[in-house]
Amino acid sequence: MSAGLFSVSAVVAVWFASFGFRLPGGLAAGLLWVTLLFSAVVALPRVLLAEEENGTGDLLRQWARPQAVFWGKALFNSLQMVLTALALTVLFLVLTDLQIRHPLLLALSLAAGCSALAAGTTLCGALAAQAPNRAALSVAVSVPFLLPMVALGITAVRVSFGQGDLGGGWQGCLGLACYAVATFSGGPHLFAAVWKR
Amino acid sequence: MRNPLNLLLLLAMAGATVLSFLAPPAKGFQEPDLARIIFFHLPCAFATTAFLFFGAFAAIRSLQADRLLWDARAEAAHSMAAGMAIATMLSGILFSKVQWGAWWQNDPRQTSFLLVLLILGAYFAIRAAFQDPERRARNSAAYSVGSLLPNLFLIFVFPRLPQISTFHPEVIGKPGGFDPIYWRTILAVFACLMVAAAWAYRQRVRAILLEERLEQLDAELDSRKPSSADRVVRAVRLPEPDEPAHR
Repeated sequence: MSAGLFSVSAVVAVWFASFGFRLPGGLAAGLLWVTLLFSAVVALPRVLLAEEENGTGDLLRQWARPQAVFWGKALFNSLQMVLTALALTVLFLVLTDLQIRHPLLLALSLAAGCSALAAGTTLCGALAAQAPNRAALSVAVSVPFLLPMVALGITAVRVSFGQGDLGGGWQGCLGLACYAVATFSGGPHLFAAVWKR
Repeated sequence: MRNPLNLLLLLAMAGATVLSFLAPPAKGFQEPDLARIIFFHLPCAFATTAFLFFGAFAAIRSLQADRLLWDARAEAAHSMAAGMAIATMLSGILFSKVQWGAWWQNDPRQTSFLLVLLILGAYFAIRAAFQDPERRARNSAAYSVGSLLPNLFLIFVFPRLPQISTFHPEVIGKPGGFDPIYWRTILAVFACLMVAAAWAYRQRVRAILLEERLEQLDAELDSRKPSSADRVVRAVRLPEPDEPAHR
């Protein structure tokens, strides 16, 4: 809910800022990814922070293996992020009147990017979940951790908006996919290390 | 100066500094004389990378066994990496001003190094958030290991992407890079810097372990102090209203 509201507000703000002129592809890709990044860091760590706030974290620790908890939370976050990205991108394209030159590249890079963002924020949420200032800490820790993914995402989406070399765009998309695979592979082990009481 | 090795290090650093002024001015730069900043800028960047990866290694060891010793090593390594990264940024900003005309260029290598510094800042934010040493060690170690991939990407991959254009010249492993005397000077300064940094790192590890010991002793002392729960409540008989106060 908060991610959706944040995303819509951000896109409307971008629309106000770009009133009367068409955004260049690189700038549009940057704005789209910044909105996605902040909606992810605001909303996704909540799935773990809420467990600690409601006191259900200890129940999960007793009944489920840490790896299973990580996969459950990360897949839920991935689904939530894909839906948010879908709604956000459609709204963004309608309001800014941008043309998509390579729709497949856009779709694949958003899917890979959303998975990588979800795995990264789940891990950062677990790191911050038991801290006294957990909400602020999860955002502060997630942003630098996820910015390299955003750089790759901007490279890919910029090309799909018609700016830059197609090979470079696919390279960015592949980089994002590798990033997602690496985060999903290493995430459960790191999560298991910090999930213990 | 009690230790002769310290004197030797001081002399070596003085020698490396003199060597940096004996190198000829670098051609192709706007201010060839001031291009000597790279004799200190590059070794600091190399040292940042070395301490960053040693810190991640120490973090992996702290997750495996002997948590508090390796955690102290990881924290000290990250502190050294942060110090070196700040020195790299400051010398880079100075270089940018004198050679390229602006304090901050929109350069991918500068930006990626700033992001590395932010990741280091996040590591220390996690450490500051937890009071319990075990949890602090575990969570900061997990972040350090997790941020290995972003750090590798930011240092080695991102500035070399074909679609990225940078002001920084590619000088490693490429023909037409630095003059051999430049490399010799850079390596000499790097060696001196690493010896000094390794000494500072060891002192930092000792200080962290002593701080932890002090905290443990404080906790033990607190547990020995008599608390309100330890007080003995004895039954007393209050005098009856008609009973004389002093018998």
